Amino acid sequence: MKVDPKLLSDVRKYGEFDVTGCFNCGSCTVKCNLSKDSSTFPRQSMRHVVMGLKDQLNSSLEPWLCYYCGDCSKTCPRQTEPGEAMMTLRRYLTSKYDWTGLASKFYQSAAWEIGAIFIVAAFVLALGVMFTGPMVTDRVELNTFAPVEKVHLFDMGMFVVLSFFIISNAFNMFHLTMYKDKSVKIPISLYITQLKELMVQFATQKKFRECTTSSRWIKHWLIVAGYVTMFILVVVFLGWFQTDNIYPIYHPQRWLGYFATIVLVVFTAEIIYGRIIKRDQIHRFSHLSDWLFPILLLLTAVTGIAVHAFRYMELPLPTYYTYAIHMAIAVPMLVVEVPFGKWSHLLYRPLAVYFQSIKDKAILLQKGG
Amino acid sequence: MESNKNNKIGAAVVLGGGIAGMQASLDLASSGIKVYLVETKPSIGGVMAQLDKTFPTNDCAMCTMAPRLVEISRHKNIDLISLAEVESVKGEAGNFTVTVKKRPRYVNEDKCTGCGSCLAVCPVGKAKAAADGKENKIKPIPDEYNEGLSTRPAVSIPFPQAIPNKAFIDSRYCLYLNSGKCGNCKKACKADAIDFEQKEKIFELNAGAIIATPGYELFDIGSKPEYGQGKFENVVTAIKFERILSASGPYQGKVLRPSDKKVPKNIGFIQCVGSRDHERDYCSAVCCMYATKEALIAKEHLGDQLEIDILYMDIRAYGKGFEEYYQRAQKLGVNYIRSRVPSIEEDPKTKNLIINYLSDNDKKVSKEYDMIVLSTGLLAPKSAKQISGTLGISLNEYNFCNTGSFSPVNSSRDGIFVAGPFTEPKDVPETVTQASGAAAKALSLLSDVRGTLVKEKEYPPEKDITGQDARIGVFICHCGKNIGGVANVPEIVKYASTLPSVVHAEDNLYMCSSDAIDKIKQKIEEHHLNRVVVASCTPRTHEPLFKNTIREAGLNEYLFEMANIREHCTWAHMHEPEAATKKAMGLVQMAVAKSRLLEPLYRQFVPINQDCLVIGGGIAGMVAAMEVANQGFLVHLVEKEEKLGGGARKLHYLLGNDKPQEYLNDLIKSVSSHEKIMVHTGANIESFSGSIGKFKTIINSAGTKQEFEHGATIVATGAIEHKPSEYMYGKNKKVMTQLEFEEKLSTDAQLKPPECVVMIQCVESRNDERPYCSRICCGTAVKNALKIKEKFPDTGVYVLYRDMRTFGFMESYYTKARQKGIVFAIYNNEKKPELIESNNGNLTVKYFDSTLQENIEIDSDYVVLSTPVTPRPENKELASMLKVPLDQNKFFLEAHIKLKPVDFATDGIFLCGIAHYPKSIKDSIAQAGAVAARAGAILSKKFIETEGAISVVNEAKCIGCGTCVTVCPYNAPALEEVTVTVEEVTYKTKKSKINPAACKGCGSCAAACPAGAITASHFSSKEIREVIDAFDRGVRSVSIEKGVVEVTV
Repeated sequence: MKVDPKLLSDVRKYGEFDVTGCFNCGSCTVKCNLSKDSSTFPRQSMRHVVMGLKDQLNSSLEPWLCYYCGDCSKTCPRQTEPGEAMMTLRRYLTSKYDWTGLASKFYQSAAWEIGAIFIVAAFVLALGVMFTGPMVTDRVELNTFAPVEKVHLFDMGMFVVLSFFIISNAFNMFHLTMYKDKSVKIPISLYITQLKELMVQFATQKKFRECTTSSRWIKHWLIVAGYVTMFILVVVFLGWFQTDNIYPIYHPQRWLGYFATIVLVVFTAEIIYGRIIKRDQIHRFSHLSDWLFPILLLLTAVTGIAVHAFRYMELPLPTYYTYAIHMAIAVPMLVVEVPFGKWSHLLYRPLAVYFQSIKDKAILLQKGG
Repeated sequence: MESNKNNKIGAAVVLGGGIAGMQASLDLASSGIKVYLVETKPSIGGVMAQLDKTFPTNDCAMCTMAPRLVEISRHKNIDLISLAEVESVKGEAGNFTVTVKKRPRYVNEDKCTGCGSCLAVCPVGKAKAAADGKENKIKPIPDEYNEGLSTRPAVSIPFPQAIPNKAFIDSRYCLYLNSGKCGNCKKACKADAIDFEQKEKIFELNAGAIIATPGYELFDIGSKPEYGQGKFENVVTAIKFERILSASGPYQGKVLRPSDKKVPKNIGFIQCVGSRDHERDYCSAVCCMYATKEALIAKEHLGDQLEIDILYMDIRAYGKGFEEYYQRAQKLGVNYIRSRVPSIEEDPKTKNLIINYLSDNDKKVSKEYDMIVLSTGLLAPKSAKQISGTLGISLNEYNFCNTGSFSPVNSSRDGIFVAGPFTEPKDVPETVTQASGAAAKALSLLSDVRGTLVKEKEYPPEKDITGQDARIGVFICHCGKNIGGVANVPEIVKYASTLPSVVHAEDNLYMCSSDAIDKIKQKIEEHHLNRVVVASCTPRTHEPLFKNTIREAGLNEYLFEMANIREHCTWAHMHEPEAATKKAMGLVQMAVAKSRLLEPLYRQFVPINQDCLVIGGGIAGMVAAMEVANQGFLVHLVEKEEKLGGGARKLHYLLGNDKPQEYLNDLIKSVSSHEKIMVHTGANIESFSGSIGKFKTIINSAGTKQEFEHGATIVATGAIEHKPSEYMYGKNKKVMTQLEFEEKLSTDAQLKPPECVVMIQCVESRNDERPYCSRICCGTAVKNALKIKEKFPDTGVYVLYRDMRTFGFMESYYTKARQKGIVFAIYNNEKKPELIESNNGNLTVKYFDSTLQENIEIDSDYVVLSTPVTPRPENKELASMLKVPLDQNKFFLEAHIKLKPVDFATDGIFLCGIAHYPKSIKDSIAQAGAVAARAGAILSKKFIETEGAISVVNEAKCIGCGTCVTVCPYNAPALEEVTVTVEEVTYKTKKSKINPAACKGCGSCAAACPAGAITASHFSSKEIREVIDAFDRGVRSVSIEKGVVEVTV
């Protein structure tokens, strides 16, 4: 295993990687409830970076198995921040998985990331100017202004394109972490039998509950649930969701929408507030990407609510303009964050849990055989 | 400066009576400086007094320390001021006015004899009901000496060997002082020493110098919630465990755990508690070794059934004998586990402790212990800030006193010197060394007023007792209730008066009290006594007092004999009064028998040559020479090379900003231009003879011989850097030692930025051939690694090590190095790193990383080997010439590893610098100062006063076999050629001659002499036989009935 002395400085481009006096004592790993003997972290991951073991680092799943509860940082006798270091490694790995190189640009440069958001926003607004229908002013007719079929088509198109990027990146992740790992022989069947793990993890993020601060799990789960609900409503059921009909309050379209937007608003606001006041150990550092994702999500939700409110109040022009703004926020957020940014952990993390469970099983089988 | 000279005061104030303060006081006082030793506690002794044993020799701490405690209490030039603090310091170096505040002891120190009667009657803190039958509501008082594991009354003597050995009333708890009720102690004190009216006293002292040795504080685990904040009963600090191990401790030396007083089956030690963390970026320097010591002693007590784990990060066994000690502990079954334990949990039922740690190979391990010992770190004393304010000296960020790399004992204020852990965490020998170094500084400062304030005692002319029959006086002490409460003292007096030659016998409540002393003198006059026997306590503490007493009455001090009827009798037979009385009579009988044969003995006064020889012109030798010369003595500095400077000439930089070459050049200049230093370069020692006060040396400098005499000798011959044979050293130019690399880094202007540099620690060190740790290599590696990063920030630096031993404040540089991205990786000694050379000469270092369980390869432009400092090969020759020993590693061996770190067993020869053991420049300078103080103590006297009771050779019986020469630990006997005439035949032969200046009167030679030619005076065969006969006769038929004793002799 050859070392690359430049690895540490490379990793540091992706955020805090403070090795302030880390003397490799392992207190962080002992205190981590998620660290198991088959996949120990944060010490080992930090060690890979400090030593310059690039291949080891790139092929590691551990950064994704960390939910950043901050216990490691609290227990560290040297006030090194292993938790934040793991966060930085997730950014680093996201960039390593991304073959376009955009993730790396976005994480390393605020100009790139914010610029990209504005360019996509401008693109969305330009599309709006080109393809929107007339603005009916005597009553609210959103579907005349932005015909639902066109928007749905756009949504679907975007879904396909973004899916292509993130899935190809996920394939890279598979390649680096599973395919190249020759230390254990993995029977193909395990990929199928362990699929359950992927599903469960994606749906529940139950690993998060093993952290000592399990209260964060419910917040996180609610945000994900809100997000997924909204995603399904917009991508699959847009025709039903974006309608000029006002459904009665007990109708699922109404309460699902309310549920999703309320949890998104409340908990993204809570996250942003926590970062502003640096409430916990985990909030000591905030990378630009840590701010952008919740802020864009919050703005998306707030503008979505506003569209709904204006329509309810029968204010046609505010409805249309807010809708345009809503799209100009939601679309860049998705384009930038899904395959190239923080959103991607929605896929990488369950994948990592899935891959790790496959490896663990394979090792068990190997031992048994 | 001439005007100042007259204002200088030949006295010094020493702040703090721990081992550092004690050493500084003794050094100063024996060089003619009056010492005021100011101690805040009721007794001096410091933390060392609490220790059971000391590493790495497992010597009993109190046994090595007690003689010094006694020496302090007896020294006529030391005023011990206990319970006192310094309020303010005015003036300047040479003339300070120190205001001292002394808190009341509520006991008259002049009257108290330390008998302890008051302790027994004090009702405070006792579980039993008070006199009125009601339950005592006052909480027990935790005994500070036993770290709260036992309790004490409100009036107490801190520990049995306390100095001053006087009771102390703690006003926080005393009933009388708080409510006006009780006063039991006052009633019980037969010496009338209790004084509730005592008030705080404020007074001024004038002194030319101040030495601050306030010691340290141990980290308080109350601030560690993860370790239970002291609420888990079976989690104890190491100092508590030290008390548990101690025979004088709360469990009488039985290893028990506090919760249920059961013998623990396993004990875990957690290291670095309160050190090496983000708040305290320093290493406490002693914890690895004290944990090892406590583990060994606990195992000694409990044997193999006790399992001990020491959970550590790096074992810092860096001092002389430490690494060997650590190896021994491992062999004896102490488990060392590399890990840092983040927290402890207690099982509430069993009170066992559970910890989790990460093993070396990254596995989580959970383990349960019966007991956990926390190796708490050293902090600056709580009073540091206040001391810094009063003294006007600066502190570092951790509140330790600031000192410089080249001035280890200087505070930031002129005339105020510092020593001990107040300057940096350190162990006993370094503390003692530094204290002597501080004393040397004060001696230099006050050299021209030396002896102006000390008292020389005047005695009346001695009575001639030649031809007189023995007239023995026997004085028997009750020692309060210590003796009198067990044995029947009046009957012993009666018995004594029946013994042959006894003309007077009497008893006294306290024979050591000043009225009793006066009475002894009076009786000597009255009864024309010519021998005196005192039967009381141990001669160790009290014999000098009584010897002095009879001298004051005009008797030779050797006409005195002592019987220990307390420690040897009433304490041992507390519950057998009759047997104790009989035994005491026997002891008195034996003492009387011997005293009949006592002869006056005289101390000799051997004149001293006041010059000094320093061998070795490196930093240690030059500093020693400067310090001795500054005290006003002529120094011969002998250096075998043509230039002064020694090994330090190769050092280009140090950790921190200090520039060693600037310092070295300044030092060489001052040494060369000093009017009291004669520099002999290019010179070898050709012969060496003589003894303390009168050595004779011949040096050879390029064929020219020169002979001179000197009173003291200092060995500072340095050491060398080992050149290894491993790792292609000498074969590949890219492989070099640390010194060579430092040279390259500092002087090679063409040096291109390397991609990567690998350093390998412990090369050919800590192995079978060289089992010792070379102490400085870890710091050197950090230093050179930082230098690389400073010059070439992009160069990768990897340091492969076994334990990083950056003890003390060096730790912060280790931290800095890690922050700079220098990689430190552990290699296992069983799988040493390998060096692979490719065809084009490029180097790759390969090693197994146990944390990652991976073979790691590092392509390296340079491979730097940290090789040990090794002793000079010529040490052997010099040692045999000087008749001083070498240790097993061939460094010079000091007299006592703890308390005499710079002395040789042979008087008058001293040791400093890396000839003793590898060490930093700072430590070498401190040691050089220390030898100067020790040498100064000899040179400042005109004569050496020898022992009176020494061995003498009967030349007629001596066969010249030389057995005495071999057995003597002090090099006192020597064979000399004499011309003998027997029955008109004259021939030359060799006879033994004992140098009175060197002889300590131990009697080894007398016992060993096959011809019976040697007599140990005061312990002659005749005297001993007489004592044995007296014992043999026994105390015949004693019967005590109704207080009437019938004795048949």
